[in-house]
Amino acid sequence: MLEFAPGADVRRQTASAARIGVGGPVGSGKTALIERLIPVLRGRGVDLAVVTNDLVTKEDAERLRRSGLIEPERVSAVEAGACPHTVIREDPTLNMAAGDDLEARFPGLELVVFESGGDNLASTFSLDLVDWWMFVIDVAGGDDIPRKRGPGVLKCDLLVVNKTDLAPHVGVDLEAMLGEAIAVRGDRPVIATNARSGEGVEAVADMIGRAVLFSE
Amino acid sequence: MISQLLAIWQADAAFPSGGFAFSNGLEGLAAAGDRLSSDELEAVVEAALRRRWATADRVALARAFEAANDLDAVAEIDREVEATMLAEPFRLGSRRNGAGLLAAHARIGTPGARDWQARVRAGRALGHLATTQAVVWSGAGLDRSGAVLASGYMAVSGFMTAAVRLGVIGAIAAQSTVRKLLPVVAELAATPLPGRIESFSFRLDIAATRHARGDLRLFAN
Repeated sequence: MLEFAPGADVRRQTASAARIGVGGPVGSGKTALIERLIPVLRGRGVDLAVVTNDLVTKEDAERLRRSGLIEPERVSAVEAGACPHTVIREDPTLNMAAGDDLEARFPGLELVVFESGGDNLASTFSLDLVDWWMFVIDVAGGDDIPRKRGPGVLKCDLLVVNKTDLAPHVGVDLEAMLGEAIAVRGDRPVIATNARSGEGVEAVADMIGRAVLFSE
Repeated sequence: MISQLLAIWQADAAFPSGGFAFSNGLEGLAAAGDRLSSDELEAVVEAALRRRWATADRVALARAFEAANDLDAVAEIDREVEATMLAEPFRLGSRRNGAGLLAAHARIGTPGARDWQARVRAGRALGHLATTQAVVWSGAGLDRSGAVLASGYMAVSGFMTAAVRLGVIGAIAAQSTVRKLLPVVAELAATPLPGRIESFSFRLDIAATRHARGDLRLFAN
């Protein structure tokens, strides 16, 4: 008789740092948001690292490594094999291994941020990989995105509506867009951000802190 | 019957192992010249089966499977795998794919997975795919012949799913090629194990090495 010992929470058997996901369509501002979050979270004393899932290049990983915001060796890149949703959902093992490797190299690591490659509205994170995840859309992508009710928009722990500064330039009624986002998500949170100026980023950091770092 | 089902379970692409992210040289080959025809693709995969899988991956898997209860012996075979892989992208890819498979098995509690993972993390083993498959598949209850067939099937299906995503072949046409290659896997799986591990698929070795220097790529190797 084979003896298996799966736990109720298989991820927690080895991981100790909290793991969060940042997903969303191409160009919605995921990397820019992470660039804003890094100094805010580190300023709060959070020991963190990042894993990126670029689709065809290592541009996001290199951008973060060269940003001066975080030591380059704290940024890992995982190839997505042309399937950005597979590497965060159906088969997250390479990301898991990358997270495990970062935890082994940086004892005391508290947070690993997994940035998905740009994907479509059906993109979701496996809870084998992350404890909590946000989905980033932007106003320039169209004010109809929330009412399309994509799984990414509906199932994420936090919906971020980014590039709010562009709303008047692309004919988007921001208040109406946010209202629809709140309506389709019920009581789940929505935060508006402008990653270029930093507006809303503290609120996102607060939510990460409460959700996975148990800060007030 | 359970050993056959266990082999199907592990060969199924739905089992998370990270394998989808590796083209094993095919992306580099597809980018290097003219579009590959389905016949050329079949020839490339058959060559990889004959000159790499049958002579290296299969041998390492079978030998490590027999030694799975002795991790020192498995680690020795693991080092032999490292020494016989000429192209660095294949060495690194094999180790990363092994770590992916190990991550899944460690989390579902497959016997032996955590001990092997601890060795790899401690730097006392490299954790190549074939040796990791041997450890976790032995622990999961596969028999050796099922393990070899699962490995051979995954070698074929890995190439073909990569080919589909690279646009080299259509998803349905790919299955025609898979069907043609299954007898090759069966034939090779039945051949006696050679005395040493050898790997040489020069077109893919060169393509993977060139691919590793490229800026644009979908796959890890």
